[in-house]
Amino acid sequence: MFDLTEEEILRYSRHIILSEVGGAGQQKLKDANVLVVGAGGLGSPVLLYLAAAGVGHIGVIEDDVVDVTNLQRQIIHSTTDVDKPKVYSASESMKQINPHIEVDVYHERLTKDNIFSLLENYDIVVDGVDNFPTRYLINDACVMKKKKLVEGGILRFMGLVMSISGGETACYRCVYEEPPPPGTVPSCAEAGILGAVAGVVGTLQATEVLKMITGVGEPLYNRLLQFDAEALHFHELNAKRNPKCPVCGENPTITELIEYAYTCETQAPDSST
Amino acid sequence: MTECGAHSEKGDELLSFENSVGKDDSLRLTVQGKAVQYSGDADVRSLLESRGENSLYANVRINGSVLRRRDFENITLSDGDKIDFLYFMGGGTCSI
Repeated sequence: MFDLTEEEILRYSRHIILSEVGGAGQQKLKDANVLVVGAGGLGSPVLLYLAAAGVGHIGVIEDDVVDVTNLQRQIIHSTTDVDKPKVYSASESMKQINPHIEVDVYHERLTKDNIFSLLENYDIVVDGVDNFPTRYLINDACVMKKKKLVEGGILRFMGLVMSISGGETACYRCVYEEPPPPGTVPSCAEAGILGAVAGVVGTLQATEVLKMITGVGEPLYNRLLQFDAEALHFHELNAKRNPKCPVCGENPTITELIEYAYTCETQAPDSST
Repeated sequence: MTECGAHSEKGDELLSFENSVGKDDSLRLTVQGKAVQYSGDADVRSLLESRGENSLYANVRINGSVLRRRDFENITLSDGDKIDFLYFMGGGTCSI
């Protein structure tokens, strides 16, 4: 017997009617614990779709507040939310869509000091961050703790998605061993981002999470999907585990978390960590 | 080079650059999964620039092997090579 109320059965009926999902799959969604890092361009569609889908326990961590320049793509926030912490704005939107879910809000930055304790409460992590230091921190922590991770990135008219089962499938460092050289990769603030591209990539990430939870289909493991909106072209690369990967390879050199310096100009790892 | 064992799926579309028309020394490459005829200088940086790509934005794999950035100008492309661009996409407001 499933722990779903009549109202929930009605609400999720278009899921439940899918034979691959069914009541059992919807129950898995209700029982799932997902942490979304970032409530911005990627986090917005991820959080909205996970909430709507009935993922029962969703954590969101983000230290930023809503800025008017966010609203062109960060669709979980509204004009009236400007200056409000994004986690609260996001949580309110999610609860409006679906009051049956629980949302944990963490109005703080994800760091090497809090990531392991946070991960204990969640089975799947979604990367919707705005910087490379946190991106590598999440990857490394998910490898070390054998968590599932759905990576996503966007810039200008492009996006990428990659699903990772920590310690089992290719990780982000298997493909991007180290962060890019200092000053080489512009931010969205510098280079721009077509708002809907964030929606495409974030929605793909949400789809991957729902697949992982329900067991439907094949996650984007050992593959990297690039999206080019200008050509409307998806390019998939096979990406098997790299034996020389510094964090998940045969002889890992990264055995403790590294926090790369968080600045637009500096790239050197913080040696004190 | 770092061996990652990655490869792109072969595309079936043939694209030609304007400057390749009528030249005999063009290379047949598979770039981002698409068949391409290329007659520019046969190094990776030139290939990137010929496609309007900023060579600072991406890692590059040839036939599944990741190139070091400093090799972008040293590696000579060969007929049949499969080239993939691995763009760095950090998103947000303060990427490196």
